[in-house]
Amino acid sequence: MRKLQLLLLALPGLAAGSAAAQVADGSDTMRVGDMQYGNAFDPRGWTPMMAGIQEGFSWLHAGMKRTPTGVPYPYPPQADDGTPLAPGSDWTYRGLLQLGYIHLNGDRNAEFFRQYSDWKNGFAPGYLGLMFDNRRTGEYVEFRGSRLSADDQYYRLRAGKYGSYRVEAFYRDMPHTVSTNAFPIWNGIGSNQLTLPASLTPGGSTPAQIAAASAAAPRRTIGLTRTRSGLSLEGELYRGWIGSAAISNEERKGTRLWGGPMFFAFNQLQGGINETVRPIDFSTTDVNLSLRKVGKVWRFVGTYTGSFFRNHKDYLDYQSPFQLQNVVGVPQVANIYQGEFSLEPDNDYHNLRLDLSRELKGNGQFSVAAAWGTMRQNAALRPPVTCTGLLGVDMTPIGGPNYTLPCADWNTPAALSQRNANARIDTGLFDARVNFHPSSSFGWHAGLRWYREDNKTRYLAYNPQTGQYGYISENGSQGSIVPGEVGIFDPRNPLYWSSNVTVRNVPYGYDDTLFELGGDWQLGRRDSLGVVYTFDHNEPKYRERKRVDEHRIKISWVSRSLGEATLRASYEYARRRGGPYNYDPYAQFFSEALPGFVDPVNGLPAHTVADMRKYDLSDRDESKARLIVTYPFGDATTVSATLYGNRDRYATPIGRQDTRSTGATLQWDWQPSARTTASAYLGIETSHMGVSNVGDSDGGAAGAALGTPGQTNPKLGGPLYPYGNQWWEFDRERNSNAGFTLTHDFGRVRADLNYNYSGSFGHVGYSYATIGALAYREADAAAAAGNAFPDNKYRSNTLELGFNVDFTRRLGMRLFGRRETGSFTDWHYLGFDQTLSYGQRIYTDKGPQHHYGVTMLGAMFNVKL
Amino acid sequence: MIRQLSLAAFALALSCAAVAQDAPAPAASAAPKPAPMLDVRAQPPIHGDANAGAAKAAVCGACHGPQGIAIAPNFPNLAGQSATYLYLQLKAFKDGQRSDPVMTGQAAALSDQDMRNLAAHFAALPAKPAGMPDAASRGAQLFHAGDPAKGVPPCQGCHGPAGQGPTSAWQGAPDTAWHTFPRLAGQSAFYIGQELGDYHHGKRVGVSNGKVMQGVAQNLDEADIQALAAYIQSL
Repeated sequence: MRKLQLLLLALPGLAAGSAAAQVADGSDTMRVGDMQYGNAFDPRGWTPMMAGIQEGFSWLHAGMKRTPTGVPYPYPPQADDGTPLAPGSDWTYRGLLQLGYIHLNGDRNAEFFRQYSDWKNGFAPGYLGLMFDNRRTGEYVEFRGSRLSADDQYYRLRAGKYGSYRVEAFYRDMPHTVSTNAFPIWNGIGSNQLTLPASLTPGGSTPAQIAAASAAAPRRTIGLTRTRSGLSLEGELYRGWIGSAAISNEERKGTRLWGGPMFFAFNQLQGGINETVRPIDFSTTDVNLSLRKVGKVWRFVGTYTGSFFRNHKDYLDYQSPFQLQNVVGVPQVANIYQGEFSLEPDNDYHNLRLDLSRELKGNGQFSVAAAWGTMRQNAALRPPVTCTGLLGVDMTPIGGPNYTLPCADWNTPAALSQRNANARIDTGLFDARVNFHPSSSFGWHAGLRWYREDNKTRYLAYNPQTGQYGYISENGSQGSIVPGEVGIFDPRNPLYWSSNVTVRNVPYGYDDTLFELGGDWQLGRRDSLGVVYTFDHNEPKYRERKRVDEHRIKISWVSRSLGEATLRASYEYARRRGGPYNYDPYAQFFSEALPGFVDPVNGLPAHTVADMRKYDLSDRDESKARLIVTYPFGDATTVSATLYGNRDRYATPIGRQDTRSTGATLQWDWQPSARTTASAYLGIETSHMGVSNVGDSDGGAAGAALGTPGQTNPKLGGPLYPYGNQWWEFDRERNSNAGFTLTHDFGRVRADLNYNYSGSFGHVGYSYATIGALAYREADAAAAAGNAFPDNKYRSNTLELGFNVDFTRRLGMRLFGRRETGSFTDWHYLGFDQTLSYGQRIYTDKGPQHHYGVTMLGAMFNVKL
Repeated sequence: MIRQLSLAAFALALSCAAVAQDAPAPAASAAPKPAPMLDVRAQPPIHGDANAGAAKAAVCGACHGPQGIAIAPNFPNLAGQSATYLYLQLKAFKDGQRSDPVMTGQAAALSDQDMRNLAAHFAALPAKPAGMPDAASRGAQLFHAGDPAKGVPPCQGCHGPAGQGPTSAWQGAPDTAWHTFPRLAGQSAFYIGQELGDYHHGKRVGVSNGKVMQGVAQNLDEADIQALAAYIQSL
């Protein structure tokens, strides 16, 4: 509770004790309270308080209850009558205290074992739940809490009166471990200043020195803790007007693996690649206010939602150890070793929404909603670079131009066209819907939804000190390795007046209008049919298409004609088309659109291949089918199976070609009585994706169109994008999981057994037309290219067995054990167990363990209060 | 006084009427093990020989009337009552989920078939004619709409809109054993008030349907009980 921040927000007029306020239960909504609750010890947050019910579901019904489609409901927990606080008192209380010991054995530091929990060896306070109820007035007070460690705990206090008002306060810490196998070479991990150890020289270390520093670096855990606290309340304000107010604050503190580029460091390019560690120090405050009224005719809801994000470390400075070397071999005049990231800025979000609905004659309903929102950030902008001295390459020693710039012209806020971001995106929503059920066998509905995202952010990358435009690329390193590639445009300097660089942000946004019309028919007593047609008209801003239209029809059929089985089948087909496709709508955001730009002698290289269609805008035909069968066997057993498949085909020679996914699940539930329940689950899904692409002709075997008049030709099959440079990617994934649960109540002893399996397999294959498609075209590189990356595999098994033993009515014990094993293979980490240093590249994370196994044993005393 | 009045003969209590709860409890030192709850949730409708039941019904008529219309307001009317309900009450007296100085003894001597026959006999008799209910009364409001603010559900939900028991349309509805719920119409206000009072005070839970009535009656105050009892008598 050291970081407990309970922020108070008064709701005036809250009428404690007002009768029949009809305050709906806001459990598990963001309106009141916190959706996330529980921890690894008890994911539900209240399991220890639950005792199996012996009398079944209801005094009105015998046996197991099922949903209308035949799926069994789980048995509800037994209600505890509680103990009177005092003789004759209307207040009763009940509670549970758990105290015990947890012992871990094996690879307890394994990344996947610790991903979202902070298990520790030793004494565990476990759980405390305490509830007070007044059965006469309906008032209650409830407390629940659990603690595994200072980074893994939760506490919640609720109080209120049923049907009148409620108040809730909560606090929780949740860990999120990213890596337990990290070896960063820098000092200052967790801060926004990463400095190199004394053994390394910024911008001047040899690969051998860097490898030695990496080998000597201590092992660290990379991750963060989410601390969330909040206060909310809800109650009647005045004659059926119900208000709610909630405020919550989430602090995220810790670290995360991050980048640190100093341009390419492959082949002959002497840049630097750094895998760094960035700080996480966020706070997000959410505010939610609502007012609602259910009148005789109209129902009304008004909602304000606000979210305020603050980043207390909004930049990262890092030192790079690598010595940069320009590609032309002239003396290196620029010593670039200081890099900087501008991290997430502070930003605010506001949204106002009104909902109105009412009944209509003819058994109909009408509802309409309107909302307006705005997202804004106006953080101070960071200077383009942090270097000192010169950046760039001076080729005058070999008779070439001098491509250097003084860092002083760019490492100050004075180099910015504006000091603050002044960024803003507004949103608007209108949503109207009617539905009618003129008869018991027929209903129809229609809806119209309009949504706008209007990006008002306009930024021009212009340095008023120099009169130059653009962004210095890669901390100045790129221009210090490749002459002229500084990233700027200068209309007065022949060295840069043909540089086509990004000078403005692209204010992406869109308008979307969606119309829906649907009907439902009851065909006899056992079959129903539904048809829904949807037309989605989208107008994206600053994109390749100005209009994208999608027609979609969905047919669903529910039948109970096949014996006891409930069959649910649906088929959906969608056809997406749009207006003309402009492969390059971005010229206005590049320097080519600025006055003074001079076309290169051979013309501007094509922006991209004209035959590519981006997957979110390309023509697409989509089919989806799903079949669900639920079959009850007698009173105790239910078997259900699902089979589904999705197919997408994209009409383009370049870009995403198709996606396919097919899956099946099989579930068995057995509930012969409230004392015994069992279930088993199997699931498998396979997915495929095909991508077609083409490399440009940058030289040598690729065709060498760059730098020639052919570079302006954007067509596939042209000199810049020859057919020989085409390549294709085939992604294939398979995910499978299985589970089994068994619980039995022996009387004094209750046993539970759980087993879970999860596995995934990933394969990325590829092919290419000729070696022109490859980045490295030497014979040995081409021979090594093969046709796939190594497969990625992940598996985990968890077996849990627990016993709850009652010694007396108040004293008991829970004994539990858990065995978790896993294996992991990912080619991204191949070789990292040997070294993290590869020439001009230094990595930090060795990745998860290939195999791990952990055994956990626990004994917790239960004391019923 | 209630106890004395109940010392009559054949008193079949309604689901919302529990004379037996007022019977004197046995001495603690001699308390037998409580009978397990009679769970009637899966009870199928019963059948019996009404003629055979009529032959054994003479002793019942001493209190409940020869035609099943009670001779005094502290006894329930049996005529037209659900046969399954009547059978279950007899069974509860015999098996110990209910106890009454008279009824326990009467039921002890009956075979299971006797109980079915008696139940079929009284169920076949014509019910007491309807009265003149006051639709604007507090009792009518409670009976038909309940009192959501106090957590009281409407009686008609289980006992039918006219108090004549669950309607035939419900019989096909899944899961619930509607035939175990009694007819209320025409029972005396005295009797209904007495039984609701017992439920209100947490008595009579040996039969699973008693758990339902306990939840219904716990939020009724004395005035509501009287209003309801008067209305039900007039149905």
